[in-house]
Amino acid sequence: MTISAASESRLPTMKPASASRVHSRSHVLRRAALYVSLWIAFIWSVFPFYWMIATSLRTREDVFQRPPSLIPHTITIQNYIDLLVGAHFWRFAMNSLILTFSVTLISVLISVTAGYAMARHRFKGSVMLPLFMLYGQMFPPVLLLIPFYVQLRFLGWLDSLYGLIPVYLSYMLPLCVWLMRGFFSQVPHSLEDAARMDGCTRWQAFWKVILPMAQPGIVAVATWVMIHSWNEFLYASTFILSEKKRTLPLALSELIGQYTTDWGVLMAGGVLTAAPIVLVFFFLQKNLVAGVGGGAVKG
Amino acid sequence: MRKILKSGIVAATLSVAMGHSALADNIVMWVNSPLLAGPNAPLHQELKAFEAATGHTVEVQAVSHMEMERNLFVALSSGAGPDVMALDIAWVAGLADAGLLLDITEQTKPIAAEYQPGPFASGRYGQKQYALPLYTNNVALFVNDQMLEQAGIKKAPTTWAEFRDAAVAMTNKDKQTYGVSFGGSRMGAFQLYSYIWQNGGEIVDNQGKSRVSEPAAVEAVDFLAKLYTQNRAMPESVLTAGNWDEVHAPFIQERAGMVVTGDWALAAFAKGNPKLKFSVHPLPSGIQAATVIGGYDLAIKADTKFPKASFELIRWLTGPRSVELMRKYERLSATTAATTPEAVAALPKPLQPFMSQAATGRARPVIASWTQIHSDVFGNVWDSVIRGKPAKDAMSEADIAIKRLLEKK
Amino acid sequence: MDARTEAPLRLKRTWSSVFETGFGARIYPYFLVFPAVVIVLGVVVYPVISGILWSFYDVTLRKLVSGDVAFVGLRNFQRVFEDPAFLQASYNTLIWVVLNVIAQLGLGLALALLLHRAIPGIGFFRSGILVPWVVPSVVAVLTWRWMYDPSVGIVNELLVRLGVIDAYHPWLGDTATSLYAVTVESIWKGTPFVMLLLLAALQLVPRSILEAASMDGAPGWRKLWYVILPQIRVSFAIAAVLTFILTVNNFNAIWLMTEGGPLNSSEILFTLAYKYGFQRFDLGMASAVATMLFIGLVIATTLYLKLMQAREGD
Repeated sequence: MTISAASESRLPTMKPASASRVHSRSHVLRRAALYVSLWIAFIWSVFPFYWMIATSLRTREDVFQRPPSLIPHTITIQNYIDLLVGAHFWRFAMNSLILTFSVTLISVLISVTAGYAMARHRFKGSVMLPLFMLYGQMFPPVLLLIPFYVQLRFLGWLDSLYGLIPVYLSYMLPLCVWLMRGFFSQVPHSLEDAARMDGCTRWQAFWKVILPMAQPGIVAVATWVMIHSWNEFLYASTFILSEKKRTLPLALSELIGQYTTDWGVLMAGGVLTAAPIVLVFFFLQKNLVAGVGGGAVKG
Repeated sequence: MRKILKSGIVAATLSVAMGHSALADNIVMWVNSPLLAGPNAPLHQELKAFEAATGHTVEVQAVSHMEMERNLFVALSSGAGPDVMALDIAWVAGLADAGLLLDITEQTKPIAAEYQPGPFASGRYGQKQYALPLYTNNVALFVNDQMLEQAGIKKAPTTWAEFRDAAVAMTNKDKQTYGVSFGGSRMGAFQLYSYIWQNGGEIVDNQGKSRVSEPAAVEAVDFLAKLYTQNRAMPESVLTAGNWDEVHAPFIQERAGMVVTGDWALAAFAKGNPKLKFSVHPLPSGIQAATVIGGYDLAIKADTKFPKASFELIRWLTGPRSVELMRKYERLSATTAATTPEAVAALPKPLQPFMSQAATGRARPVIASWTQIHSDVFGNVWDSVIRGKPAKDAMSEADIAIKRLLEKK
Repeated sequence: MDARTEAPLRLKRTWSSVFETGFGARIYPYFLVFPAVVIVLGVVVYPVISGILWSFYDVTLRKLVSGDVAFVGLRNFQRVFEDPAFLQASYNTLIWVVLNVIAQLGLGLALALLLHRAIPGIGFFRSGILVPWVVPSVVAVLTWRWMYDPSVGIVNELLVRLGVIDAYHPWLGDTATSLYAVTVESIWKGTPFVMLLLLAALQLVPRSILEAASMDGAPGWRKLWYVILPQIRVSFAIAAVLTFILTVNNFNAIWLMTEGGPLNSSEILFTLAYKYGFQRFDLGMASAVATMLFIGLVIATTLYLKLMQAREGD
């Protein structure tokens, strides 16, 4: 299921090793070309990330030095100190955390039963509903933006973190349900039947047997929601108006000021905003890749 | 378990209720972020003094200039938003016209004489007073002394012709130096106005009529645009610079010999390049001297729960104490007390030229749709003329656009 | 599979027993999907419908405050069409979408083929190449904006050193390059996801098929076209549709780099609608643009999926 494990062990190389024959020159050349292209792709992908970290560790003079040098002359953590002491970074991080946690919890709780029902039960709409969920992803946020604005205004929820929760659910929940349905259809039926034989009600069978089985899928979906809520910018920047309710991406964008843009500090903020996501990703890489790659494809 | 839950709920309800009663005289205030840079910003101490003197509490939040007008509009028109806000003087008309600001005409009548007339008028819209000036500023000419000398020019330019000559003289393609750093779009547009007035032109006159297609205005725009399109005396950043930092950058890096900017630049230069040797001069004059008045006002939201306390607060911050407060920020108080010779003499030296040219300051038109005229119409004018569009065409299109905006009521 | 009629052997009575028989059993699935359906109705369906309806009303922020909102038929659409910025934005959207989709699919496929090999160190490359996908989009965009800086940007410096350009160029400030400069960032950010989808699909291709093709000695591109691509066709279609939707809705990249400027040169319909709505506060015009965008999305996606189905039928 996971890409990395799979490829190392059982996947073929494109060109089966014809070990008996002497390796021709063209084979070596090809190998070299392969690694060169891999390195190019690697550098292309990683360079901006490197540049962000490098900038965040530079002194102010070094940041605006002309021409810029690829490697910082001196390394300083002053930008991080400025950010963590000066700006209300902690508050923004806390806001992001609260929001992300609430949205993740709600969408997982709700999508887990719905996904299960769609995978296991026949009912009116059991064919249409999942498809609709997939299409739900297609609605352009800009179309939803104005009705959301009008509704939040009507409810007096503008400029509040809880007002953002339903807004975030709008683009999280449909795909969550769709992905969950994919995971549940992979859990064998026999397990449920066995549980029912043991005297579980349908609900108990779901809760005690199926749910634990689907755990990797749930983790994948939860992580996916987490990452997207943490990163969300459009809705937050439209509906959050006062400083103390800003989320991290919003706070970052506001560091580009009218008078000064302190790129060193801004990039430090970028590193700190990206860090949790990058860490989560590399710990859960297996799950996630299978979840997003597999879940979406297999359906 | 139940018990704990219950007492928890009681505690939560209590704390919410208490929170509410504590909020009762809590004034929420938004100010532009430069005034709140760092935990030791002078404004914090000033607010403490206010709280101690009046018993009100103030919850202050920073909002960046770029987002502030939009955020104020959205927040205030949905009943949310701060009780007291700092706002760029150019926004007063728009917000007041939409009925979002509290009318303070009566309270301010007796104290009008305490403020400089220009900045005081910036808080007025349609015969009513909506705001009091927190600080005032205008733009002047900053010159890199060393680059000027190396270009063989003895003194800072005082006329348009000298200005152009100096800019051309300091431009050197091999060394990649330029005469004058300018902003793009809105930033550039902000700098156009001074030159239009200097040339005897008008933007929108007192009768509410657009005058931008008249030759005086067109000439001024043409003059500035050609500094880039013909003489290449502006660095390429003129195309992109969307904030003051980007406008200042070439000057800080000593790649541009001059920059037209305001007192806010002083702190940026000191931080960006402490060794920079520069001097500040009144803007070079055309037919007449003129500079654009800027600055921030303080206003109160129309449906605030604490109109009295809010007024006390804006009065406190803009009143006599503002001379001292603004001096700490190296900004100019808008009170008349700040114009006395002693007060001017007490100012840091680079600030004095701003004060001395304050009399030639002109306010941007006080019309509800000004923000749109500024950022859409003039932003576009400047963006297109530096990309080669004839100033005459750009300005006649602007004229039509402005007329349409003025009609739309 | 669901309607199990025989009674379970020994049923302990719990609250969930009500779902075992009769009416309870019938409503059980509805009970499970109910919360999701209610929320989706509330936060997706209702807003979409009201968003479309708003486009027929003359509604600005001020009129919303005063409650003076009038039905104006197609007047908003007419005003949108009269705005030259709309034409420019439509044209830009077309370029933006075509470039992004083609480049992301092409590069994504190439990367997937590159990484679909068991050679030493492949895990390292794979993790590295996924970095753009992992970095939060706001962070990525701001980083690129910094890299494009006209006076101290590393992009300029590298291009000068490589001899591509003679002097620093304001990539985001030149009307001729702004849209393309943002496109490069967007391709950088979007490609790894396409790669991931295609890689997952490639790994499901039976090795016997690939080996058979190799024995034939078919040249690489023919193998790609006749053997590999048909095998991953469905994933490819899904990747294409997703990339298309994500590109049309990619607001952050353009907004945080250029705000659609200079002179609307990088304006797409999304940012234009946003400007109408939240800078000019003309919610009616914004809804009109958003509605057109939505219809365009639905038509394009449906057409594409129909085409894929038709080819599958062949």
